Amino acid sequence: MGHNLHTATEDVSPTYKPGKYFEIDTSFIPAHQWPRTMIDLALSRGMEEHKLLRGTGIFFEDIATNNLQLTPQQCFQLIKNMQKHSHSQEFSFLLGHQIFSAPAHPTTHHSTISHEKNNLHNSANLQQALDVLLAQQIQLMPLLNLRSVYEQDRLVIYWQDACGAETTQIFLLEMMFTALNSLTRWRSGESYPWQFFLTHKKPDYIEQYDVHLNSNVQFSSQTNAMAIARDYLHRPWKVNHSDQSASHSPIPAHTSPALEFQRGFLAETYIYLQNNIRHNPNLEQTAVDFGMSSASFKRKLKKHHSHFQAQYDLARRDLAIMWLSQKGWTNEQVAKKLHFYDVANLRRAFKKWTGKLPQAIEKMG
Amino acid sequence: MLKHHKWKLFFVGMSANLALIASLAVADLKLLAEINWLDVLSEGGAAALALVWLVLILHSRPTGRVTQYLSLGLSGIFLAGFQDLLDEFIRFPDAVQWDHWIESGCMPIGLYFLTLGIYHWHKEQLSINAQLRKRERLFREHRSMDFTTNLSGADYLRKQLTQTLPEHRHATNTLALLLIDVDNFNEINRCYGHQQGDHLLQSLSELILLSIRRNDLLCRYAGDRFALILPNTGRVAAEKIASEISMLVQHFAYKTFTQDESLFHSVSIGVALTSIDSSTPDSAESLIERANLALLHAKEKRRMAMQQAA
Repeated sequence: MGHNLHTATEDVSPTYKPGKYFEIDTSFIPAHQWPRTMIDLALSRGMEEHKLLRGTGIFFEDIATNNLQLTPQQCFQLIKNMQKHSHSQEFSFLLGHQIFSAPAHPTTHHSTISHEKNNLHNSANLQQALDVLLAQQIQLMPLLNLRSVYEQDRLVIYWQDACGAETTQIFLLEMMFTALNSLTRWRSGESYPWQFFLTHKKPDYIEQYDVHLNSNVQFSSQTNAMAIARDYLHRPWKVNHSDQSASHSPIPAHTSPALEFQRGFLAETYIYLQNNIRHNPNLEQTAVDFGMSSASFKRKLKKHHSHFQAQYDLARRDLAIMWLSQKGWTNEQVAKKLHFYDVANLRRAFKKWTGKLPQAIEKMG
Repeated sequence: MLKHHKWKLFFVGMSANLALIASLAVADLKLLAEINWLDVLSEGGAAALALVWLVLILHSRPTGRVTQYLSLGLSGIFLAGFQDLLDEFIRFPDAVQWDHWIESGCMPIGLYFLTLGIYHWHKEQLSINAQLRKRERLFREHRSMDFTTNLSGADYLRKQLTQTLPEHRHATNTLALLLIDVDNFNEINRCYGHQQGDHLLQSLSELILLSIRRNDLLCRYAGDRFALILPNTGRVAAEKIASEISMLVQHFAYKTFTQDESLFHSVSIGVALTSIDSSTPDSAESLIERANLALLHAKEKRRMAMQQAA
């Protein structure tokens, strides 16, 4: 868990070489899984099919074939189209309740994340469910990259843009936060005291957060994350009997082929930068390690609505916060590790990244 | 809508045709020079407009008594006008009287039914207003209407509170806000699909509407949470209404789509009252926040009670 962060702090670790990644235009997301759930919801709320699919290049007939694969870009466009509906604020939350659930309802069997669900649904406790989620995130929700980290007496799950979600990231976060909250509520039979942290400011439709995320949300936070006390990780969950009904319609294995990559391009870049922080990575060296010219690497970042400095700042910011708040390092130590000339420069950069001075960082918030 | 009324339109068309054929059978056409074109225009125009009204009415209204009266009335007026128009082109022999009967008979009968129809339409609108009353107070805003329950949403709730709260600042009576949350609602969605869940919410909203007073307002806050504004209501009265609603829901045997199965539900209710202390007047947000907090406490209390019972 969070091994990438820990290796970054060990000076003896070898250079981290980037792994395979998917891009914003890689087709690999099975359309009949959660995108189908999304489409069904919008249609059931009276949205017209042509408006929903406009600009996505998706044909409704193709989804029913069960072997259509979408690119992240198509999913983003689908979400943007959905958001034009007059009551779209509740869509992300409603989807969140659905995507990890196992309806016995025969007509909706296509609409949940199948195959993997058996593992999620049969987890004996939260720890097991999170292990499944982390191991299978490329199938469950590839558009956000998640990492879980133990911080003192709690577990924090960080959610990050994997491949350039831009404005749709809020939608995805609402959906996934609700999904995990709903899963723990269902499997444990009680409402877990999750704390939710979101970087965007408090929205107008705060009622949706009140109802679906139990009001325990901090807006304008440093990171997008959810946290829970460690005690809850191993509390036993009830045995799930409802899956007997799901098991007689097994999903053929070929619907979820093994993918050759684990995460999106931006997520891979972030991990590369954090793991190689002691080499003070720059654009040129990063491009070389990613096996392309600097110009190509720049273009690829631009395609994912980002640029090198933004990614580098993000990686350094998160390291700084972790070292200051978790490890209790001094400003001098952090400045040295992050290759700042002196503490004053670190302070200035830190203020720019977070809006706060380093000494103001205690716990995440 | 028009296809429900095709027999009415068919009848009107047939009558007009019959009048035309009968007229041609008994009388001769006038010469072109004899025709008064101004009369043709005014009488023909009146008949054509009556027909337009008829089609518009039929197109926008469901069948029923009011629609019958209105269409009968307009049909009569149209037929009278049509016969009047035929007079302009056809010279009737003096012996033939029935053309006058159509003209002079259809018009008063038509006007009579039209009046009757409009009167009942007025009554109908009053009763619709009474039904809508618990869904909207002060102003109407169809855009904030929720797709599932036809109630207004949280935006509307906040606007209503913002408008109503200042009135309560100087009054001795408090305003109560109830937040009503369906217990284990996600189980329904999980077991029966979200369309079943939507339908349950709709049924519950109808149920709650039946049990509240004329001036109370029900909104859908979000998800499975309803908001109920009780103007001029103290704590005792508000809690009485809350317990009435929760009893009502507990005894409501909701039927699922597929099986002949009855599902029973319970609700948790959070109650918040405007503060009497005028130095700290409530805003819509602060009142909603307190109601949400009260709801969380109610849910926690219910959970503890369940654990003790088990």
